[in-house]
Amino acid sequence: MTPVYLQRAALHCALGEDLSTAALALQQGRPAAAGQFQLHELQEPRRYLYAAQTGESLAQRLDRLIDECLGAHAQALDDCLLIVASTSLDIAELEALTASQQGFSPADSTCLDSLAKQLRQRRGFAAAFTLNTACTSAANGLLYGARLINAGQYRRALVLSFETPSAIAMQGFGALMLTSPSGQYRPFHPERDGLLLGEAYACVLLGPEPGDAPLARLLGGFSACDTSSLTTTREDGSHIHWVMRQALRSAGCSAQQVELVKLHGTATTANDLAESNGMRLLYGEQMPTLSLLKPWLGHTLGACGLSESLLLLKALQLGPLPAVDYAAEALLPLAARPQALAADSLLLANFFGFGGNNASIVLQGCAQGEQPCRS
Amino acid sequence: MPVIAASEIRGLAATSDKQLKAALGQWLDNPPRRIDRLILQGLLAAAPLKQQVRSSCGLYLASAHPARATMGALLEAVCVQHKQPKPFEFVNSVSNAAGFHIAQQLGMQGPNLFIGAGPQAWSHLLALANLDLRDGLIEQALLLVCDERGDFCVQAVLLEGAAEQHGAADFARLSAGLEVQRLQL
Repeated sequence: MTPVYLQRAALHCALGEDLSTAALALQQGRPAAAGQFQLHELQEPRRYLYAAQTGESLAQRLDRLIDECLGAHAQALDDCLLIVASTSLDIAELEALTASQQGFSPADSTCLDSLAKQLRQRRGFAAAFTLNTACTSAANGLLYGARLINAGQYRRALVLSFETPSAIAMQGFGALMLTSPSGQYRPFHPERDGLLLGEAYACVLLGPEPGDAPLARLLGGFSACDTSSLTTTREDGSHIHWVMRQALRSAGCSAQQVELVKLHGTATTANDLAESNGMRLLYGEQMPTLSLLKPWLGHTLGACGLSESLLLLKALQLGPLPAVDYAAEALLPLAARPQALAADSLLLANFFGFGGNNASIVLQGCAQGEQPCRS
Repeated sequence: MPVIAASEIRGLAATSDKQLKAALGQWLDNPPRRIDRLILQGLLAAAPLKQQVRSSCGLYLASAHPARATMGALLEAVCVQHKQPKPFEFVNSVSNAAGFHIAQQLGMQGPNLFIGAGPQAWSHLLALANLDLRDGLIEQALLLVCDERGDFCVQAVLLEGAAEQHGAADFARLSAGLEVQRLQL
């Protein structure tokens, strides 16, 4: 695939109200303060990683995020595709409506494309659509947005991805017994007990040139459906292995050239086992540096493909990545000490989700203030 | 135009899920259990094309709405009754659940994308599928659009090779010259 630049980026998340603040917190090993919610019926608390509460409506917050991403002197967007990648969309508003009127009528249902349509009309995008493939939504948004640019369909693409705090997601993952009772988010730990959900709003502009604030180049990727189960992927890691190999092939690089793998790492029993098996199929025992982002952001579901990628790429520009304090016990060789990597390291990032969707993308960071990236 | 097959399913708002399940039994030996209306509708439009679908096929699915009954049940349970949702309703509410079941039932191994269906749904689906077809990631692409605003209509086309895009795509243009398999419920 012809590389496409992640030109400008913005992130609001539990670690900080902007991308630089969040990346600095990650790089310095300062975790976010967690809030909590109660699981209905069980009346058990679960931790949740909220972004700062701003009092804005979702539309106001997304507009502010887009403004931050595009900067003060944004061009007209009539050459730019908008991809809205989210699983929550406007569900928090529907939840509030249902609670206030003590019921839900089918007439209250909104179109899945309504946010994308409103943003297109308000901001003048050339076209817009909503992409929802569960936890691979944003990764697919990046991948297909970049390829639509390469195909000449659009000059630029804005990928907008977010997950709002949703009672249905909180209670649904609770009902599936996938949320962590201990509140310790420990992917690949032998005693891991599930995930913490997180809130995030992320935005990136894709284009064929570096632009004035390049963060990375997207070199390739692959996405496919594992039809063995709606909620888990093959435990032997074979589908994940195949997807990672196809992603590397599309980027024109080998597994050995990769310097850092961003693991999906949900800390659920089945996913971590499948991913560790997939990693061993690809690498055997000699793995590159491994990175976990969900303990810092929470699992931001459909937004994780963008929130985690942006946070990691920005943190690489700032300095070493933090160590994992349980590395000695983990299923995979996680970093026991802070890992210093070049900002222009080659990254493989994994994202897996419900609906059998598995996706991997290959990125190369840009050093801060330097452009273009190493070629 | 490399469209090799097409289907269209129409039904009334009053057509029950039980009727949809019965109709699906004509096409599939072992239809999945505990599935919702959107999944049933998607399967009904895709199943008539099963004989022509190969494993190297991607799925590009659009729907204007989620399954409203599923969303209603989840919202009532969580926001009114303050209960945990039923696990199968929660996983069915994932928008790509319909795509998963279609791919599983038809043995499709390619990419599986779900988009919200707006006015350009066919054009967006075709553009996404063309990327994968032109890059040789898949040999076929199944495009499917589900629309339920009152009565419902689900349309599907099966492509073998990338299709030229001149102007807005729609079902009538994509299926022109083909004998569309139609089912009225």
